[in-house]
Amino acid sequence: MKDRVRALDSRLLWVILALMALGTLTLYSAGRNTPQATIWLKQTVWNLMGLALMLLLANTNPRRVLRYSFPAYLLGLAALMAVLVVGKKIGGATRWFVVAGQTFQPSELMKWVTLLYVSQRLGTRPAGNVGRWEVLGAVGLVAFPMLLVQRQPDLGMALSFLPILLIIPLMKGLRARWVVALLLLVTVGGFGAWKFALKPYQKQRVMIFLDPSSDLQGKGYQVNQSRIAIGAGGLIGKGFTSGSQTQLNFLPVKTTDFAFSVWAEERGFLGVLLALGLFGLLLSRILDAAKAAHTTAEAYFCAGAAGIFALHLLVNVGMVAGALPNKGMVLPFFSAGGSSTLSFFLALGLIMGILYRSKVK
Amino acid sequence: MDPRQRPLLHRRLGVFKGLAWSLVALLVLIYAWLQIVRHGEFKQLAMQQAVKIRPIAAPRGLVLDRNGYRLVDNRRALHLVIQREDLPARAEVVQSLAQALELDPAGLMRKIQSYRLAGKGRPLVLKENLDDAGIAQAERVRARFPFLSVDVAPRRVYLGDELAGHVLGYVGEVDEPMMKANPDVFRLGETIGKEGFEASGNDKLKGVDGQRRILVDQLGTEVAHFGQTDAIAGRSLYLTLDAGLQKVMQDAYGEEAGAAVVLDLRDGGILAMYSSPSYDPNLFLNRLSQEMVDRYLNNPARPMINRAIQGIYAPGSTFKLLVALAGLEKGVITPQTVIYCAGKKNFYGRDFRCDKPTGHGGLNLVQAIAQSCDVYFYEVASRLDVDDIYATAEKYGLTERTGIDLPREKRTRIPSRAWKRKAVPKDPKWYAGETISVGIGQGAVGVTPIGLARFYATLATRGKVLTPHLFYGFRSDQTNQLEPAPPPGTKETPLDPKLWAVLDEGLYEVVQSGTAAANPFIREMAREAPFVGKTGTAQVATFVDKSHYARQAKHLKDHALFAGYAPHDKPQIAFAVVVENAGFGSTAAAPIAAKLVKYWFVDRVKNPIPPPRGRMVDPFAPPAEAAE
Repeated sequence: MKDRVRALDSRLLWVILALMALGTLTLYSAGRNTPQATIWLKQTVWNLMGLALMLLLANTNPRRVLRYSFPAYLLGLAALMAVLVVGKKIGGATRWFVVAGQTFQPSELMKWVTLLYVSQRLGTRPAGNVGRWEVLGAVGLVAFPMLLVQRQPDLGMALSFLPILLIIPLMKGLRARWVVALLLLVTVGGFGAWKFALKPYQKQRVMIFLDPSSDLQGKGYQVNQSRIAIGAGGLIGKGFTSGSQTQLNFLPVKTTDFAFSVWAEERGFLGVLLALGLFGLLLSRILDAAKAAHTTAEAYFCAGAAGIFALHLLVNVGMVAGALPNKGMVLPFFSAGGSSTLSFFLALGLIMGILYRSKVK
Repeated sequence: MDPRQRPLLHRRLGVFKGLAWSLVALLVLIYAWLQIVRHGEFKQLAMQQAVKIRPIAAPRGLVLDRNGYRLVDNRRALHLVIQREDLPARAEVVQSLAQALELDPAGLMRKIQSYRLAGKGRPLVLKENLDDAGIAQAERVRARFPFLSVDVAPRRVYLGDELAGHVLGYVGEVDEPMMKANPDVFRLGETIGKEGFEASGNDKLKGVDGQRRILVDQLGTEVAHFGQTDAIAGRSLYLTLDAGLQKVMQDAYGEEAGAAVVLDLRDGGILAMYSSPSYDPNLFLNRLSQEMVDRYLNNPARPMINRAIQGIYAPGSTFKLLVALAGLEKGVITPQTVIYCAGKKNFYGRDFRCDKPTGHGGLNLVQAIAQSCDVYFYEVASRLDVDDIYATAEKYGLTERTGIDLPREKRTRIPSRAWKRKAVPKDPKWYAGETISVGIGQGAVGVTPIGLARFYATLATRGKVLTPHLFYGFRSDQTNQLEPAPPPGTKETPLDPKLWAVLDEGLYEVVQSGTAAANPFIREMAREAPFVGKTGTAQVATFVDKSHYARQAKHLKDHALFAGYAPHDKPQIAFAVVVENAGFGSTAAAPIAAKLVKYWFVDRVKNPIPPPRGRMVDPFAPPAEAAE
């Protein structure tokens, strides 16, 4: 067991444990005096399972995992298609399988499987031998599950697939024409999406983002209350379990999407600084793993993982502050949820494995 | 990995690392902006929605009669309410709430909208005065709509039911027009006096509302309580009314319509005032049902009008005292002037008839008053100008409102040339023949019972024009005894004692040998409690109506009147009694006056009527009639 624990990177581990502690405290406070009073305990169980999964993967050769990425990718696509047919519909979206009373969201895991497979595909080609068809193929590999996820519909989750494409500039460099192409794609895609693909509630979210006061009782209400909570926290915060916005239930969905607002209200700007600093260290250490990686595929995986973590951080922490549209993207370690927790720990386990291999040799 | 690729990859990963830290820095800046720069603003917003100030309704003062008997009491009542900040916004919520409470959805929506528009105030009341079934329903509905709450508020109870409905009036929620007119005075949802003394004495009776500062959660449920300012109850006060005399008056009317007033000659205090048909103010505390609207508001007998101060009646023969006074003061007659009555007399080419077709023969003033001879007063009027009569009426206060402390008192109508120009612009000229009708209190003359009572009070006091009033004084907080308030001012217009003696003798003879003496009951009563007065049988029945003057010859209905004072030798009270469509003053009105005088001077001391109890043992039970 000691040997196995040695496989864990201590710097990354401390950051993870610290963030876990912050998240658990937040959930304890958010669940107090609500029907979800024990949510911090449930999340602790998920976290422990996640740690175990991480330990297992840290001791597994990443190359072996990468080898199974193609069948896993196919299985994932099948699961995404199946969930559209037999999945459980909650709040107008079909995103979940229900197995033995537990809900499981296949898209959470699929994001990482897609990253694995794209990393494997692009990373195993000889450098300089990757043409534009290979690149377009990679874009297609990402776009296909994204579209399936958007069918559920789940725009936030679909968007969280995008950081996988960061591998391309990592591989090919950031050329001007790529930037122009990307901007063009975003403009045309955005316009097209607005016209044809976005559901009315998604359009509404964008409208509310542009003018939060337009819907103070509905979706705008959530962000508005969240901003009040964050702002009222001030420099040092209202104190643990003492935030009026949190404890009097003005803050909505405070155990998932708006968990960070709870932390910000009760721990203030200093607490926010601590949490964001830890997230910075996390991203930084994941990128260190990319540098240290033995193989190109592993490096690509780490870089993509850093991108996915960064996107979650940006969208969730920005959204609760009203700086980004209300997208419903979870914050790792803070938002309660089994599928997402296990998925994040799975990625972290692979990264631990990559770091361990680089040190062993 | 291709070793040539590594440096390039490392460079690009370095850029990524820079981007990651920039992202963290950007988020830190956003949070610094919210948590440090805009902290004050958000802190205030958080406070505003969590800390609420809820008003505590102050109970109004009790209303007691002059003996300290309770006329208006307070009980506790439960209301189902929504606090202002918890008003449901969505139409579906309002819809299902209305359904659950068995209310009209459109009506509830309108109510919520109008409530939302107005300024801060008390909670919106959905259901008032919950009974046991209502409380059970409220609790059931509250389980589904947690933003509802149950408020305890003081409720008025009018102990005499119909006993003094018009005098006491009732309270209600301030309405929007009233609030818009006085935005600084009233708050929405505040309980104020709407009618009667509750309205005119609102400032005396109302207390100062208190406040509770509480912490609420998102559903508006109270979580904690940080203290409160207690409500200060309104002061209790005494009215000049005597509940026993009021009861005698009420019973004397029975099913008859009309109004009566008894004045205290010492200060103008109103000892009793009743308008029949009366209403029960208790019924007006709840929202009006259609049944109530039909029974009270759409009733052709118009029970909501306080006839004592708003009914305008032709005074008939009771007006002859004023005409006599005008003639005496103007010098067109003396007490000794004898006028011959042949049963009728021709003025300006038209025959004016006397009540007695065979004629009274030769009469002096005392006899003319006692016999109520019309020809005598036609003659006096013919010697006067209508403006002379008006001037005398003005001198003795009959042309103005009495200034009683009740809302919406009507003015008496004493005709004059100026009045006709304004009131009948189609035919503005005054005809001398019209003055003849005025001489016997007909034609355009119209008085309120309170105005008539005050005129007889002026006769009784030899020239004091009193200000009738109901407010007697506050109840002392220390001793619980009356602290008498100074009575409102009195205008002194001394009457020549010689003239007064003649009028007084005339009124005495009315009861002893004249028109009222024909009734054996009156003679008997006058022996027990010597009173004097003048009968009247008035022809025109109408409330203020501009077209009345043109139509007055057509719809003639006789009202019975009696006005006077008692006791004869040293008057203490004055009264006026009007009974609508009841025939002669001597048979319908004078007996009521006689009963009042007898109670006041005889039975009140020996055998007083107990304090009012009211039929509402349970103030929340619907009245017996409504339950059927």
